[in-house]
Amino acid sequence: MINKKDQQLAFPELAEWVIARTRKAGANDCRVSLSKRRLVEINYRDHKPDVIKEATTQSLYLEVFVNNRHAGQSTPDFRQSTLEGFINDVVESAGIMEEDPFRTLPDPKYYEGKIITDLQLSDPGYNQMTPENRHTMAKTVEDACLSRGGDKVISVETGENDEFSEEYIKSSNGFEGSTKSTYYRVSASMTAQDKGDRHPESYSYAACRYMSDLPSLQEVGTEAAARTLDLMGCKKIPTVTLPIIIENRGASRVLSGLLSPMSGSSIQQKRSFLADKKGKPIGSKLLTIKDDPFLPRGLGSKYYDGDGFPARKRDLLTEGAVNEFLIDWYYSRKLGWEPTSGSISNLIVPPGTRSVEEIIKDLKRCILITGFIGGNSNSTTGDFSVGIIGKMFEKGQFVQNVAEMNIADNHLNFWNKLVEVADDPWIYSQARLPSLVIDNVVVAGI
Amino acid sequence: MKSIPRRKFIYGTALAGGTLFLIPALKACKFLDTQSSGNYFLKEFGIDETLCRKLLEKALSKGGDFADLYFEYTVSNYLGLEDGKVNQSYGDISLGVGIRTVKGDQTGYGFTQDLTEESMMSVAATAATISDLNAASGGSSFSLLKTGNYYPVPADFNGIPGKSKLPLLQNINEKCFALSPEIVKVSAGFASETKRIMIFTSDGIQAEDLLPSGYLYASVVAERNGKREQSSWNLGGRRDFSFYTDNVIDEIAAKSVSDALKLFDAIQPPAGEMPVVLGPGVTGVLLHEAIGHGMEADFNRKKTSTYSTMLGKKVAEPFVNIIDDGTNMNLSGSINVDDEGTPGKKTVLVENGILTSYLHDKISAKHYGVEPTGNGRRQDFQNYPMPRMRNTYMLGGSASAEDVIKEAGNGIYVENVSNGQVNIGEGDFAFYVSQGRMIENGKLTAPIKDVNIMGNGPKMLTNIILAANDLEMFLGGGGQCGKNGQGVPVSFGMPTCLVKSLTVGGTQQKGGKS
Repeated sequence: MINKKDQQLAFPELAEWVIARTRKAGANDCRVSLSKRRLVEINYRDHKPDVIKEATTQSLYLEVFVNNRHAGQSTPDFRQSTLEGFINDVVESAGIMEEDPFRTLPDPKYYEGKIITDLQLSDPGYNQMTPENRHTMAKTVEDACLSRGGDKVISVETGENDEFSEEYIKSSNGFEGSTKSTYYRVSASMTAQDKGDRHPESYSYAACRYMSDLPSLQEVGTEAAARTLDLMGCKKIPTVTLPIIIENRGASRVLSGLLSPMSGSSIQQKRSFLADKKGKPIGSKLLTIKDDPFLPRGLGSKYYDGDGFPARKRDLLTEGAVNEFLIDWYYSRKLGWEPTSGSISNLIVPPGTRSVEEIIKDLKRCILITGFIGGNSNSTTGDFSVGIIGKMFEKGQFVQNVAEMNIADNHLNFWNKLVEVADDPWIYSQARLPSLVIDNVVVAGI
Repeated sequence: MKSIPRRKFIYGTALAGGTLFLIPALKACKFLDTQSSGNYFLKEFGIDETLCRKLLEKALSKGGDFADLYFEYTVSNYLGLEDGKVNQSYGDISLGVGIRTVKGDQTGYGFTQDLTEESMMSVAATAATISDLNAASGGSSFSLLKTGNYYPVPADFNGIPGKSKLPLLQNINEKCFALSPEIVKVSAGFASETKRIMIFTSDGIQAEDLLPSGYLYASVVAERNGKREQSSWNLGGRRDFSFYTDNVIDEIAAKSVSDALKLFDAIQPPAGEMPVVLGPGVTGVLLHEAIGHGMEADFNRKKTSTYSTMLGKKVAEPFVNIIDDGTNMNLSGSINVDDEGTPGKKTVLVENGILTSYLHDKISAKHYGVEPTGNGRRQDFQNYPMPRMRNTYMLGGSASAEDVIKEAGNGIYVENVSNGQVNIGEGDFAFYVSQGRMIENGKLTAPIKDVNIMGNGPKMLTNIILAANDLEMFLGGGGQCGKNGQGVPVSFGMPTCLVKSLTVGGTQQKGGKS
């Protein structure tokens, strides 16, 4: 097992060694990504730990380019004695691929403009987390959830998990990047007794990079219970056409159907209903989607993308019109377009001025969608269909909880009906979306 | 718990619009010896009985009911073709051990990629923290578990030279283009994986398995009068390389192309409740969502499942028999042994309309005082096992497919399903139809597509009113079931079957009630 040749190298030295070996094995170019992750997870149920899990993982991912042929492989084994064989095999795998003139590392000019701002992705206090802290956190959330859930509770599960991860990426043509980040998450889910065999279940969570950004733990537990109790008496009602409000935390489920067809791969592979929509309106003036990698402590914040391009703030959609596609290096070459970056960071839709409560008061009848089930979106045609769970209101008054219902449309039609954006962006996600009001939607039921 | 919805089934290769996410999730790699004989971990890493006993003792050093060790070594490969060229090669090696200590229904878990004694002892100590009692016995000796053999293949994907896999993809590409001038893009992929596992339990079991899995898929885009449609199909399972013959390639190409072309005539389906006929095969996703998840015993011992009070009760018509089975030959969900050392079995969920058994892991089996059913599965050594499905299907009835469609009158016929999801507590489920047809006056008419269908599990079961004698198993290899962030391969089966009423999530508000 232990080979004398194997010495623990720091990431930069190991990457340097791998690059030199890979070149020696016959590759023109290569890129190596090294990562290490420590994770802890504690779940509580019935006032005792349900699961305690703890581990550290590491991975080396090597991409090689051999005469316009490409291969990528990952391994958890960092021993130099076995890496030599690994490297030879990756180079050999690339060698048997068919030649593809577009398979190269990016032109190094696109690496320029390295981000030097501190995005505060790693909590300096992370090492002070103790097992006792974690147990107390999960217990506090549990107590709050049980207390709010009262005699309706069938089961409450709460959890605390946190991670520390670091990555280091180096390419043979001059890119070098590294990121350290921390992540905390507390969550609660509750199942309640409703009439008969229906057991409504819902959850709440908060996730962030700094411990101090977590909301009060009681709040997370209480909210999970409140959201579950809110589902009591859910039923399917006759099919109706009315305005819907997609709650902030769920809005990305529908909005993601717009992002997938914006990728270079979808466009070049003719699987995008947005391919010819650059500069053209596809939604109402309220539909502006920003991609902002620089939010301090943001869950999607980053210094560089997968190609090594420095992160850049941009508008993907501006007032309903497609402004910029997600074009990575490879597909930019295939399309003959300029690359723009194929990956997204934090998604932002500029919030409006009114709360969901105020908006509901002004609508005659509407459904506030609080959950989704199943569903999918076709990137080639723009058609989508997804199940919903929600609450029906009439002039601000609660009427009925609804479930087992569905909304379906084509994205090119749907987003034109975006009539208002609420003031409540959901901050515990990479998609910081506010609640969205869509008019005139068919909600299928009985 | 992750922020992604739990219990979401994703059938990878047919995920409409999902191609963006499909490839990065897949892996490829070409090397590494896989010895088909046992003792792999002993030979390579010196893992012997003495060391395992020591680790189990450590895991139970603060008490607990039992402990287990799960060693895994997996090599996965992915080769992809795009724009006529096999130009994607990805690979992954996964190696490590997961150590679990169980006390009642509480789990302590740790894992490491470093198979040295020092590192493993430290992980065992982590797992032990779930308990705070006096030490329990780590077991004295181990006997090797005898299992069935539901994928009797050499299983050595890694021994197949990468070069010989290229023609599979090149042939699929050529065939798809040859089948229709309207095909404008073809992508194809071949995924293969060999997973070696070894399990030691404190109750004295040693189990080993070598699990092959893989699939070959094609995804095509067709263009007609400026309109585009896409479709895909895959075949695979726990099979060796010899499965991927010209016939298999032909079938994948023909189905992808004809399905895509059919969609040009597709109409917008109506919205509302109506009769739904499930075609044979992959539509078994309905069972997976509507009853399978709800029967996983962890949800029942916690009393969260809508089925938690229904055991022994009539839940469906007498002709309804639903089975979850790890013993089907070569299917994706088949297992010789589950991931905690229980042999693969066949478990009847519904027998003649009566709810008969939950799907158990060791924790729930102990809770209910029954034998484990061999459903304790996990994604990999980084995760602890929990009750999971294998291959879930319903036995055929006595009608003909024509009779079933005729009986529906007016409604929807489901041919292909891409994904589904269920809320365990309420029993409400959904599945996404990528291919289907309208049924009008008892006959199949216009194609439909991209429609989500919703229902409630127990209600749906009572609404199964007719089944044909044509049970078909889904032979694809890309089916993944997700639960609490863990994905495991599964499959399904279904005869042509009539459900009296489900909610069809179309766009036309005219509720086609029959």
